[in-house]
Amino acid sequence: MDEAVTDDQRAVLDATSQFISKHCAITHLRRRAHDTEEFRRTYWKQAAELGWFSMLVPEFLGGGSASENGVLDAALIANKLGSALQPGPFVGTNVVAFAVSAAGTDAQKEMLLADLISGEASAAWAVDCRSGGALEAGVWATPTDFGYELRGFKSLVQDTAWATTILVTASSPSGPRQFLLPIDAPGISIQTRRSLDLTRSFAQVAFDRVPARSSHLLTDAVPTADLMDRQLAIACTLTAAQSVGTTAADLDMTVQYAKDRTAFGRPIGSFQAVKHLLVDSSLSLELGKATVIAAAEALGSNDDTALQAASMAKAFVGDTSIDIVQNCTQVFGGIGLTWEHDQHLYVRRVTTDASLYGDAVWHRERLCQLAGV
Amino acid sequence: MAMASTDLDAFRREARTWIEANLERRTSRSAAVSAAEARTPEEIAQSRQLQRRLFDAGWAGISYPEDYGGRGLTEAHERVFNEESDQYLTPDFGAVGLVTFGPIGRSMLAHATPEFLQRHIPKMLAGEALWCQFYSEPEAGSDLAGIRTRATRDGDQWVIRGSKIWTTGAPNADYAMCLARTDWQATKHRGLTWFAVPMTAHGVSVRPIVLVDGNAGFCEETIDDVVVSDDDIIGRVNDGWSVAQTMLVYERRAGEGFSVAEPREIAPDLVSLARKANRLNDPIVRQAIARAHINDYAQHHLGKRLFAVLSTASSPNPAIAAYIKLAGGVLVPERVRLAMEIGGPDALAWDDDDSQGSQLAAEYLTGRIASIGGGTNEVQRNGIGERVLGLPREPSFDSRTPFADVVAASRNWNHRVG
Repeated sequence: MDEAVTDDQRAVLDATSQFISKHCAITHLRRRAHDTEEFRRTYWKQAAELGWFSMLVPEFLGGGSASENGVLDAALIANKLGSALQPGPFVGTNVVAFAVSAAGTDAQKEMLLADLISGEASAAWAVDCRSGGALEAGVWATPTDFGYELRGFKSLVQDTAWATTILVTASSPSGPRQFLLPIDAPGISIQTRRSLDLTRSFAQVAFDRVPARSSHLLTDAVPTADLMDRQLAIACTLTAAQSVGTTAADLDMTVQYAKDRTAFGRPIGSFQAVKHLLVDSSLSLELGKATVIAAAEALGSNDDTALQAASMAKAFVGDTSIDIVQNCTQVFGGIGLTWEHDQHLYVRRVTTDASLYGDAVWHRERLCQLAGV
Repeated sequence: MAMASTDLDAFRREARTWIEANLERRTSRSAAVSAAEARTPEEIAQSRQLQRRLFDAGWAGISYPEDYGGRGLTEAHERVFNEESDQYLTPDFGAVGLVTFGPIGRSMLAHATPEFLQRHIPKMLAGEALWCQFYSEPEAGSDLAGIRTRATRDGDQWVIRGSKIWTTGAPNADYAMCLARTDWQATKHRGLTWFAVPMTAHGVSVRPIVLVDGNAGFCEETIDDVVVSDDDIIGRVNDGWSVAQTMLVYERRAGEGFSVAEPREIAPDLVSLARKANRLNDPIVRQAIARAHINDYAQHHLGKRLFAVLSTASSPNPAIAAYIKLAGGVLVPERVRLAMEIGGPDALAWDDDDSQGSQLAAEYLTGRIASIGGGTNEVQRNGIGERVLGLPREPSFDSRTPFADVVAASRNWNHRVG
């Protein structure tokens, strides 16, 4: 996805690749190195030094991007993370950093933003996957004398063990409200579930009469639909960018296998049945890259169709990334079905990405609605 | 002639000023040029006049060399002019124009002699000479190098004999760029030569082919002992395949011209179809509309992105242009099927005065042109598989023996070869 980037973007991406291959390659992931608190803390702080969490924050708030378009920069990084199946709440942290810098109170900007950018803090972005992108679903905020009381739960919250903060969107009698809470706030309980994806973890986060003061509200004003729409659009674009990275890495591995593996006296990649399957996968991948870059460019430049573009990228990549990794499994044959082969890690990862923050069907319907159809 | 401006912004201003002062605004946005859609002789005559006006003012052949009447600037300058003139009446020769100024003009520039270029390119840029390709044959489609039209030496002349098919825009063309076999004892790719043949030459006869939708856009020709000379050769004798390679690169890139503008509105044709069929609230139809629009959008951005990669990456692989052709070859047939699904019964039968119905049917029936014409999907897949992904080739049965023997052996194929 990064064939045509600036020198500054290239520098960030190269440093990112080196960092990952040294500290968190697939061999580390298979040993579950990231299961320790110590690993996570070190990883996150070093990652922060590479600029992973500053791209969506303007310079005057302490952030800074590699190019004029921070969303594109973040998407390029996400793409690298996806290609190496990286764990950790990269999407959540960036979405929350964006939300705080766009609409947070001065206190939030002062206290949280610097920590997010420096890797001292990280954030979970709590959504309810079952309803696609209706951010407020699942949790209710009841007004009380001191602020609000939150009840309900969010499913599929990613990598809560890494997160220090959670941004939760709840319905209230006067519309959706967003709260920034410490992830260990009283009343929040986290139940990590077994998940299809083995490289990240997913939890159900329960809110049992969690007291939230007004100071926990993301913004002094009522959160606008646009603010929440943009969070979703950024989450979708970064997730699609990760999926593109994951499928690209998987397809590279598979193409190499098709060159190396011989049958009937020739490399299997010389058979058109195999070659054409790989080319069709490669075409889908190239189309996917194009939609993700277009979405990132539209979001970063506040284009009128940016929200549509993000849903288009999420829908297109959601469908095609699963097709691609399934095709890869087919080309690997039996070996691709074994535990010791990495193939299943890629299948697990992109299948999860495809559903997170709304699946392809949901985003196609959203596209129609955004377009006024 | 206007001053050469190499700076794109300055060039844009200069182009805009000239365009506003000299061209007429377009009244209705004409649809993208369909390869199967021919222009009438009147439309062609009008476009020739417009082309002449552009040529005289220095706006024809913006990326063609100055020596041959062009502007000597880059393709980026040419795109700027096209963007600026998008809402204005510009020469529209239909498919024959795309072929003339794209694959034909470009491969001539790369391979023909200066004398040849001096003779032909200025006339081309001035709109006096439109060209078509005598390339595919009834027995050579995907296997383009397998052509059988022969050019035989006769003193200091050549005599061409054979038949060609799927020629775009032949009735409007003044010349054909014709591929013929000049050495039957050489291997398939080694004995080919390109010739310039006037369409009015004695022995050339053109017959239109009526396609499934009832329209005629392509032609077939017989070439019955047409006499040409060494001066008419493009590239070197028996080296025609390298010219063909250049031509194919530009042919694939011609696809870029089809979608200049980003599709910003959600599939307007399909939305109107669904509204008419009273199915705009049907979730299945909504999914189909969104799917079509997302594919349109992805296809547009694929072209844009690959063009950026080709022009900015440190060592771009020109073979990636085939993705653009394959994307159209896969997505166009899918789109016309989605349209048929959305249209439902209205797509199967319609009233006489319902142009949408007949257009839908025509698009459905000709949708496969995208996956067959100008290189089938399968040929693109081989090209991408081998030249982009680096996968090994299939075993070949025709690359090492004289082509005359290959033809004979293919008629006696038996499955125990090898």
